[in-house]
Amino acid sequence: MPDDLPAIELVHATKRYGDTVALDDVSMRIAPGEFYCLLGPSGCGKTTTLNLIGGFVPLTSGELRIEGQQVNDLPPHKRNVNTVFQNYALFPHMSVARNVAFGLEMDGVKGPEVERRVDEYLELVGLLALKDRLPQQLSGGQQQRVALARALVKRPAVLLLDEPLGALDLKLRKQMQVELARIHRQVRTTFVFVTHDQGEALSMATRIAVMDAGRIAQEGTPQEIYYQPADRFVADFIGESNFVAGRPSQGTDGPVLELASGERVALPAATASLATGEEATVMVRPECVDVGLEPPPGPGWAVIRGRAIGVSFLGDLTRVTVVTAAGEVVASRPHAERSRAAALGSLLDEEVSVWWSTAESIVIRQG
Amino acid sequence: MAKPMDRLETMPVSRRSRATRNAFRAWSLVVFAFLYVPIAFLVLFSFEDSRTPGLPFTGFTLDWYTSLPENSQLIGAVANSIVIAIIVAAVATLVGTMAAFPLVRGGIRWPNAARVAFTMPIMLPGILIGVGLVVFLAGTLDIQLSQLTVIAGHLVLTMPFVILIVAARLQGFDRRLEWAAADLGAGPATVIRRIVLPLIAPAILAAALISITLSIDEFVVTFFTVGSQLTLPIYIYTQIKFGVTPEVNAVATLVMVGTILALGLITLVATRGRRAGRAVVRRVRGGR
Repeated sequence: MPDDLPAIELVHATKRYGDTVALDDVSMRIAPGEFYCLLGPSGCGKTTTLNLIGGFVPLTSGELRIEGQQVNDLPPHKRNVNTVFQNYALFPHMSVARNVAFGLEMDGVKGPEVERRVDEYLELVGLLALKDRLPQQLSGGQQQRVALARALVKRPAVLLLDEPLGALDLKLRKQMQVELARIHRQVRTTFVFVTHDQGEALSMATRIAVMDAGRIAQEGTPQEIYYQPADRFVADFIGESNFVAGRPSQGTDGPVLELASGERVALPAATASLATGEEATVMVRPECVDVGLEPPPGPGWAVIRGRAIGVSFLGDLTRVTVVTAAGEVVASRPHAERSRAAALGSLLDEEVSVWWSTAESIVIRQG
Repeated sequence: MAKPMDRLETMPVSRRSRATRNAFRAWSLVVFAFLYVPIAFLVLFSFEDSRTPGLPFTGFTLDWYTSLPENSQLIGAVANSIVIAIIVAAVATLVGTMAAFPLVRGGIRWPNAARVAFTMPIMLPGILIGVGLVVFLAGTLDIQLSQLTVIAGHLVLTMPFVILIVAARLQGFDRRLEWAAADLGAGPATVIRRIVLPLIAPAILAAALISITLSIDEFVVTFFTVGSQLTLPIYIYTQIKFGVTPEVNAVATLVMVGTILALGLITLVATRGRRAGRAVVRRVRGGR
């Protein structure tokens, strides 16, 4: 298979349920070996996309290709993709080994070859010792691994994962994220992963498609999505964001954003071309924002005055909420040393400044 | 398992409500007596020495039981009932299970109306079904009344139960198991055979057992549709026309014991079925 042939390709794919449009003219190409993440709030069309690829729901219009072959009308059992379902959908009347063997038997694999491959994949997910158990005798995390082994044992061109970690508790989820990334590196299958959890997407994916209302709002690597959100929706959905709105104009040391209060906030030099006088919004991540009684001297800082109305100690960091002329700005500060936590705590109800390096400001479209 | 705490019991109550509560307890005993005392006497009299059952109890005997096998008319009726029950159970389970699928999974118009229409015979008086069958089978189609007409009558009564039981199981069936099987390469027929049928098997088995029990005791519809070969309930009826005999008491006791055993089996299948089924599967696999 040539490398430029995508594992999955959607071309102007649309899915309607009655009058509701679940997927609205979406096109995407997923390269072989990617860990591709469909991320978005519920109802954004991400699970519909997965079900389309799996073959469980038909496309209304457009085209779906798997490894270059058009498969719009191919039933699920004839597609070279396998799915890990949200509730795992393990067969309750079959042992772990039988569950994993099921797909091989369907392919006509016989005898010792079945056993060998079942053992190989149960080993991969670390469950070889439990092969004779029934699914309900396993914990949620173990069932999850069985579902993974059952789907992977067929060596599909693409593995589809529908919120597979949603039912696990936080600690197990973190563990499985690492595990999934390891398995992906080991088997080199294309993974298409659906989640509403941005942390999951950022930590595992090679590429993310942020979906909203049946469309792709932005597609890119985790870092691109996080640091250069295309619009306000993406910025809001991925991580936490501060938004500062104002009118761009030319200051003495470069471009500035003039707030309603008349305060002037420095903008990155590269944004000098912004149309003067028109409303613009700047986004900055809370961890890029610092807070204190006086801002550091010198150029290169965007500074706003305000009043600290909330200080929350979170253990590894402190979040300070400051009311400014541009609305609330949140600064999230790590504690390199203990005294820092106390210093931040003393800011409550004080007149303070928030500041960040102008390089961290991102001018975004209103979404 | 620890006994669940009774909230009412732990709450302090007035003397009056305590008295009311005791009165209700006593009343429930009266209701139970009303339900079971006649049956207790039936069982008791099946062991009564005297030819004419009644109080006082004159002596204990097993004669009525030991002489049953010599009564060829009775044995014929029992055999006939069993044959009918098995055929009824087989046909009702097959057709009823097939009918349950479209009712639950849609694909038919007016599913609710269809469900009511399918299960209506349970609500209809048996005498109405009996008369209807005679008018239709004997009067309209001019069919001789025989075992076959009895089977037809029993199917009308048992099929709705099969549909109800299997539909209830299908209702709770996770369709994603079928998606998963299809996803792993199973065609529609394989999905039914390997996934759906094994998982609804306890319901199908329970439905078959209920069909057998219903068919064996059915009187009203049988009375209208029966030909020259009597079933057990019809035989018992012909016997008590001439007064209650100890043989009838003995037969009735045996039927009751059989019914209780069948119901026990149904309950076991319905509640433990999946677990027991798996234990069997494990044993078979272990022995392979």
